[in-house]
Amino acid sequence: MPTLLFEIGTEELPSWYVRQGEVALAELMRERLSAAGLAHGAIETFATPRRLTVIVQDLSERSARREEVRRGPAASAAFDPNGAPTKAAIGFARACGVDPAQLSVEETEKGSYVFARREAGGEAAAELLPEVLAKVVTDLPAPRKMRWGAFELCFVRPLAWLVALLDDTVVPFTLAGLEAGRATRGHRFLSPDWVELAHARDYPEALAAANVVARRSERLERVIEAACAAAASESLQLARDPGLEDEVTDLVEFPTGVLGRFDPDFLELPEAVLSTVMIHHQRFFPTRDEAGDLAPSFVAVSNNRVHDLSVVRSGYEQVLRGRLEDARFFWDADRRETLAQHAWALAGIAFHKELGSMADKVARVAQATRRLAELLGASKEEAAALKQALPLFRADLATQMVYELPELEGTMGSAFARAEGLPEAVAVALEDGVLPRGPGGALPSTRVGALLAVADRLDTVVGFFAIGRKPSGSADPFGVRRASLGALRTLASQGWRVPLSKVVEAVAESFTTPSVSAETVAEVQRYLWDRVAGLLAEEGLQPKVVRAAGQGSRSVIGAGRRAHLLQALLQLPGFGDLLTLHKRAANLAKQAQAHVKVRPALFRDPVEAPLHDALPSARRGVERLMASARKQLPPWDLGRGPGVTLCDLDAPVAEVVRLKVLLDDFFEGVLVMVDDIEVRTNRLALLSEVAEALSDLGALAHLEAAPEPGRPSQARPG
Amino acid sequence: MRFQDVTMALDRFWAERGCVIAPPHDTEVGAGTFYPTTFLRALGPEPWRVAGIAPSRRPADGRYGDNPYRFQYYYQYQVLLKPSPADVQETYLASLYHLGIDPGAHDLRFVEDNWESPTLGAWGLGWEVWMDGMEITQFTYFQQVGGIECAPVSVELTYGLERLAMYLQGVEHAFDVEVAAGVKMGELRAEFERQHCSYNFDHVDADLQRLLFDRFEAETQRLLGLELVYPAYEFALRCSHAFNLLDARGVLSHTERQGYVQRVRRLTEACAAAYLAPRLAPASKVA
Repeated sequence: MPTLLFEIGTEELPSWYVRQGEVALAELMRERLSAAGLAHGAIETFATPRRLTVIVQDLSERSARREEVRRGPAASAAFDPNGAPTKAAIGFARACGVDPAQLSVEETEKGSYVFARREAGGEAAAELLPEVLAKVVTDLPAPRKMRWGAFELCFVRPLAWLVALLDDTVVPFTLAGLEAGRATRGHRFLSPDWVELAHARDYPEALAAANVVARRSERLERVIEAACAAAASESLQLARDPGLEDEVTDLVEFPTGVLGRFDPDFLELPEAVLSTVMIHHQRFFPTRDEAGDLAPSFVAVSNNRVHDLSVVRSGYEQVLRGRLEDARFFWDADRRETLAQHAWALAGIAFHKELGSMADKVARVAQATRRLAELLGASKEEAAALKQALPLFRADLATQMVYELPELEGTMGSAFARAEGLPEAVAVALEDGVLPRGPGGALPSTRVGALLAVADRLDTVVGFFAIGRKPSGSADPFGVRRASLGALRTLASQGWRVPLSKVVEAVAESFTTPSVSAETVAEVQRYLWDRVAGLLAEEGLQPKVVRAAGQGSRSVIGAGRRAHLLQALLQLPGFGDLLTLHKRAANLAKQAQAHVKVRPALFRDPVEAPLHDALPSARRGVERLMASARKQLPPWDLGRGPGVTLCDLDAPVAEVVRLKVLLDDFFEGVLVMVDDIEVRTNRLALLSEVAEALSDLGALAHLEAAPEPGRPSQARPG
Repeated sequence: MRFQDVTMALDRFWAERGCVIAPPHDTEVGAGTFYPTTFLRALGPEPWRVAGIAPSRRPADGRYGDNPYRFQYYYQYQVLLKPSPADVQETYLASLYHLGIDPGAHDLRFVEDNWESPTLGAWGLGWEVWMDGMEITQFTYFQQVGGIECAPVSVELTYGLERLAMYLQGVEHAFDVEVAAGVKMGELRAEFERQHCSYNFDHVDADLQRLLFDRFEAETQRLLGLELVYPAYEFALRCSHAFNLLDARGVLSHTERQGYVQRVRRLTEACAAAYLAPRLAPASKVA
């Protein structure tokens, strides 16, 4: 069976799209071939800055045969009284490409109708492919497309050539002025001539010969090898960086590693500045010496293999020198003022027109942070660091360095603080306070920094809710969702057991204009709890477990621990059955009067006393379970999972599960709603205590829900 | 190759490819893109090819001549081709070859660069061209100009002339570039640069520039009312320069800055619409 080669040659794609486009192309080919009824074998992909390619093995030569059925007019309208087809029936038959005599009448739920049945499929792949391939190009998904020349077609960058070969035959079609053919291009400089392909299967070898490493995975390996080897040539270590390795891979077709140097005097700049300039601006890899210190050398990955490397190297060195001189200009200029002086300039930087300037925001954050510190308790040292850090928090936003290199916000705050000789704890807090920088980003490492981070992120959330700019579905222009996740992850990772409601209230109290209503506070809390549920769901917990834990918890970490505890308990024998009985008890207990104590003297049935007597040990069991969860699950980054499984729960669970037999007996032999009002009230009070005994485990009623479709029920093992 | 030989070589190269070699425009602009021969001519259906040296001013970019690459006054070489031709990358590489740069002897790459000019209501997609890590050219397919969709699409090439010349002459600072026999760039521009940096950062009279901005803005609108698009556009450019001076002087708060950007944009967009209106053929009316 034939092999199909399809290469979309382009002007240089954005590096991030090379990976994305490779995956998208394979998916779209699969979908479109299947829609065309063309079966196939393996699909292999290639992707470089100048091409996205698929090779489809064993493509069927003809599309699958199938019967096409179409419903036409009602039978009553399709034939005249003599049984001859009406105009309507003839028109329908023509539209379906069948003879009117072949129309059949069939009964349906809505009455009897005329149907046309026709054999379809069986078309030659070679005839179907031109349209399929052209549509693959026009429909290939991308976040941002462009137009060029006078063409209507949109693509990521202008198309440069198209190769479409079915074995040794061109699949002919035309798109944006290009005719698909058999000629591809090699490396732009090393193999500038067109490369004619005799057969689809020649592609990988032909490109290798034309100095293109077309398989992305292979090119990534070559990039890493080349860069490491260049560093090793001077006994240096490459500062590995997967993001940069990926990016560089998609900037080159033929990687070559080149080692260059810079003036060691620049090492006086903060390391983060040096790394950012090298990585983000030049796509150079920093290097480290044997002691692990940043070395005054870098590795560039060139897209060309040239005769005289010294030309290329000195070019790299010269441009890096210019960048570093610029950075030193900012570093020197910014340090002519202290961070405290820069903080004054925050009044001139808008946060949002309804929420004031950055100075207003930072003032609110300072208030909220002080309240949170009281709630959570800060040591004397922490309080001292906080006092010094608060007036400097985010002051680096007003520096030239952060204006030029925004990704260094926070990092520069701590670098300037160190340069001013401020205590290390203050310097660390200033960077910690802007963490995490995004989903999966590192969290604050200190309590002081975490306080700042939570207050700052929740100030954003509460503020935008208060002015009615809450996120909706996919639209979140002010990053409220991101801020929420950052605050919640930080709260959990610090293991703070303070109720989330108190945290939100502390932040809300720091607002004067706009004022924050009680409804807004409640709305923010609901929004945050939904995000907690989302993060826990990412940890692979069942939705019902997340719901039960969330509604039964006041703190974020408490919800996390309860969720993992409940998930573990549901795996244990007997717990699921206990839940059923517990729910029955809880439902009946809703009729109990509040604050009525159980009076053993009113027990009339022999099963009542044992149930009552078992409650203290059940309560103890619940306490022990919660204690195990606290002990075994140290605080973690919510969403990533605690990384440990709860164990040794059998003994405390047994204390709790013992209630099951006793409850069984109770519901078997005892009528709760008896006429004797005293006995009835007493029995309801007993059930109320049963319900209450387990309530610390969470809102258990949620766990009773029917197993979700498509997921194995873990509620009743065995 | 001396600096003036570089510009003459580029003039010759692009003239042979059908470009009008246009002399520099005489109003201050932040980049060649602001030239009427680019900004206005990128609009509408008529084919157009233009090239030439484009002196530009970016007051905030000045470094008193200390930085080898960054200046508040510098030269771009600006090319606009409408519609964008299919072989424009190859043609561009040929122009480097024409300057004596063999692209094959360097690490030459087209690195994604999405360009946007908020004051011109313009954006486009393209690349920075990197030669051995140094950005030597910006390459942009205009998608929108003056708030109007481009149809057909133009491609703009902007060469960094000082950088290219530094490369060709093997010098490490733009002021060391030889312009003509025995005349260095520094002789022409070092003192000019130092004085303008001092002016831009420390001595711009902010009140005067704010006043000028307001008056130039009103003048643009008045002239548009008289259907005098070219003079109106020049006053819009003067507004843009007054704004750039205020920005460099550091007297604009973030919010105020946004306000000025919006005002310049409204003017340039109004000029674009007024320029296009009489020559709008139905075919170019792309939503």
